[in-house]
Amino acid sequence: MGDFLVWVIWFLAAAGCLGSGIAVITFTNPFYSALALIGNLGSLAVLFLLASAEFLAAAQVLVYAGAVMVMFLFVIAYLGDRSEGVRLSGGPNWVRVGAIVAATALLVEVIVVIGMAAGDRLSDPAKIQRSFGSPEEIGRLFLTDHLLAFEITSIVLLVAAVGGVVLGSRSRAEDELDEAEAARAGT
Amino acid sequence: MTTGAWICLWAPLAGALVITLLGTSITRAVAAWISTLSVFTAFAGAVVTFVGLLGRDHEEREVVTSAYTWLATPNFRVDLSLLVDPLSVTMMLIVSGVGGLIVLYSIGYMDGDPEERRYFAYMSLFVFSMLLLVQAGNFLLLLAGWGLVGLASYLLIGFWHERPEAVAAAKKAFVMNAFGDATMALAFFVLMWQTGTLNFLASFEGAAGLSQTAVNLVALGLLGGAVAKSAQIPLHTWLPDAMEGPTPVSALIHAATMVTAGVYLIVRAHPIFELAPSISDLAAGLGAITLLVAGLVALVQTDIKRVIAYSTMSQIGYMFLGAGLGAYGSAMFHLMTHAFFKALLFLAAGLVIHHLANEQDIRKMGGLRGVMPKTFIAFLIGSLALVGIPPLSGFFSKDSILASALASGGYGQVLFVAGLVGALLTGLYTFRLFFVVFLGEPSPFVREHTHDHAHGEGPWTMMWPVAILAVLSVVGGWLQIAGVWHPFGEWLDPIAFGREHLALVEPTVTQDYVTSVIAVALGLLGIYVAWMLYGARSRPVPRNAAVQDTLEHKFWFDELYDLIFYKPAVLLTRGLRRGVEEPLIGGSISGVSVGTRETAGVVGEAQTGYLRSYALAIALGVAILVVVFVSVQ
Amino acid sequence: MQGPDVLWYLVLAAILFSIGTAGVLLRRSPLIVLLSLEIMLNAANLALISFARLHGDHDGQIFALAVMAVAASEVVVGLGLIVAIARRRLDLDVDRLRVLRG
Repeated sequence: MGDFLVWVIWFLAAAGCLGSGIAVITFTNPFYSALALIGNLGSLAVLFLLASAEFLAAAQVLVYAGAVMVMFLFVIAYLGDRSEGVRLSGGPNWVRVGAIVAATALLVEVIVVIGMAAGDRLSDPAKIQRSFGSPEEIGRLFLTDHLLAFEITSIVLLVAAVGGVVLGSRSRAEDELDEAEAARAGT
Repeated sequence: MTTGAWICLWAPLAGALVITLLGTSITRAVAAWISTLSVFTAFAGAVVTFVGLLGRDHEEREVVTSAYTWLATPNFRVDLSLLVDPLSVTMMLIVSGVGGLIVLYSIGYMDGDPEERRYFAYMSLFVFSMLLLVQAGNFLLLLAGWGLVGLASYLLIGFWHERPEAVAAAKKAFVMNAFGDATMALAFFVLMWQTGTLNFLASFEGAAGLSQTAVNLVALGLLGGAVAKSAQIPLHTWLPDAMEGPTPVSALIHAATMVTAGVYLIVRAHPIFELAPSISDLAAGLGAITLLVAGLVALVQTDIKRVIAYSTMSQIGYMFLGAGLGAYGSAMFHLMTHAFFKALLFLAAGLVIHHLANEQDIRKMGGLRGVMPKTFIAFLIGSLALVGIPPLSGFFSKDSILASALASGGYGQVLFVAGLVGALLTGLYTFRLFFVVFLGEPSPFVREHTHDHAHGEGPWTMMWPVAILAVLSVVGGWLQIAGVWHPFGEWLDPIAFGREHLALVEPTVTQDYVTSVIAVALGLLGIYVAWMLYGARSRPVPRNAAVQDTLEHKFWFDELYDLIFYKPAVLLTRGLRRGVEEPLIGGSISGVSVGTRETAGVVGEAQTGYLRSYALAIALGVAILVVVFVSVQ
Repeated sequence: MQGPDVLWYLVLAAILFSIGTAGVLLRRSPLIVLLSLEIMLNAANLALISFARLHGDHDGQIFALAVMAVAASEVVVGLGLIVAIARRRLDLDVDRLRVLRG
């Protein structure tokens, strides 16, 4: 019974992933695409739980869905009308064709590789403790074996923060543009 | 004694180097004297070597001395070595002695020329090269000297390089000699391959064991080189043109020494030639043909130097005739006496040219006897020696060759007749020149230029060599009187390979006397006819349009070679240039640049500026890479 | 383990990745491109987690956390760029933004 339940949950989460993924790339309105992505992230969090990565599931929901997507929604709201665009390209055809070819090729290849190279070994997961994937374990590793990764990641975040501030600051030209627009709107 | 030989060899080279390195920091006169003294030093060395050799016994008169080993492999070895034996010492004395006199003469002749230093450096270089050639102890070193004299000849013929005729003549000489060099190199290859050595003595021994074909090839190759260097038919057309060089150059290189190198080669390599009798006969035959043709062409020449040049060609024909029949001693004897009287004639002609402000056309000359009496006498002595009138030197040497021809069987006797006809022609053309230039009333041209030279016929540097050579032309022949006294022949005997006496054929006393009488008679007949036509002018010169034309065109040899060699070569080069050089080689260079630009243009299309095309490229690349990684597994 | 094998997770990750690639290549709005990029990153995370589970090793999860951090940073910068572009009154169209054409 427990196993059956797990399978059901798995399929539901997988369906949610795929569905929301397709939704992201097909919606015209970026707002809806962003919401779809939040759904995608949630489904993925469920899958993480099923794979014994509890801490990561929590981080996914808090950081990704919580912070990153909120940021996205804020920007979309700021941009307003200007954020809309055409769904599919009116651009050169060969890009379209090439895109589809590339995506398909990647998909097929990855599956083939997985099947060919590692078919047998994939059906025998290791025995794990109950504490596998717990915050305690992750934390311990971050502060001992993978300390360097931890520190570098923090630097990356710092750089991104600085970059965001710089990119977001107003320039003189933009101020003048805004005033001109306001003046036109006013008259 | 060998020290003398080394000094003889290196002194002129040292002179040339000093003049070259000091350049304009020395005056032209100093350069001239450095050169002269270097050659006289060489002569001193030669004399020392000669005396040293005299002091030895007959059997010990072949000394090989090496400076260092140039190449040593298990199979083959070449040293920088000199062979000191009677033959080489004879040549050393002639080259450095006559050469020294001529270089001394040049001091006066070339005075005032702005490039005197270059001239004297070249002269010293030439003397060194010629000495290297005659002193070499192996064929390779001889070839080195051979090539160097060719170079020096080229440099000196084209000395006045602003004159296009001089440049053309220099090129002609060099190219023709290159042909001879090539045949000689081939001969050396065969010799080296078959006998494993290029040292003279060792290769002579080895040659005895070779097949007839191999020996013939070697001898033929050597003959090719000799024919080119000595201007015998068919490789003779360069010599008359070489008269574009200064007169002392003509005297030294194209009369006394370089052109005799071919004769020297045959005598030096006589064991090989004796093993190839057909080639020796060929050499003698070519000599006979040359002496006749040259004599005929000399009859119509109007340039004083060209008459003497053709005379040289003719006389060397005699030497080839002698050497080809095995009369090596006689050939060398004639080489020596010829050096004396031919140099004398050229230098005397130089006095005339110098006096007449570089005019060389004899039709403008006449009556110089009263104006230049000393030159007149010198020229007379030279001419008589050339024709072979006793008791002057030419008589003894030329007649010994003719007598040997008579004694050499049927073929030899045919050549004997040719030689006699040649004697007649020699008398004719020589005294045609003499009478036209010196006798009669002074021509208007001569009168114009006479008062320019109030100080006599020339400076002492020019007069003394002429005088010395005149004396030598008289007494030089007394070293060997047929049937009576043979010191010259005996002197050369040690170089005979494997036998007692050098000469293959010894004429009897009767043959000697008969030959002498007939030859002298013919010579006098030639002089008489010349007197009739050009001296006393009692008969008009016979003119036949066809004969005149042929003789004036030198039997059409130049035209023939132009047709066979020059024109096809030009066509070939033009065709190659149009078909290969310009499209392929030139085109490929510009093709590289054009191609690069076009490729850049095409490749530049990839920089579209579209974000999505870049992303697509990445995606496709990843797809391909995955395949690669999987398959490489 | 309960539920599907690691193989299933991996195939799902592969399909998600392809979806994300298609989105990046086919949409013209930079916002949507960024979102598609997020999908791709998440697919990679899923694969990493699965392998960590397979080997019983935490390294994959650590890596996934690092990827998350980097993804967040990249979104910050990307959104900053989009805002800057919008401020200068340019079209938010990837095909129009081609000043860097070579």
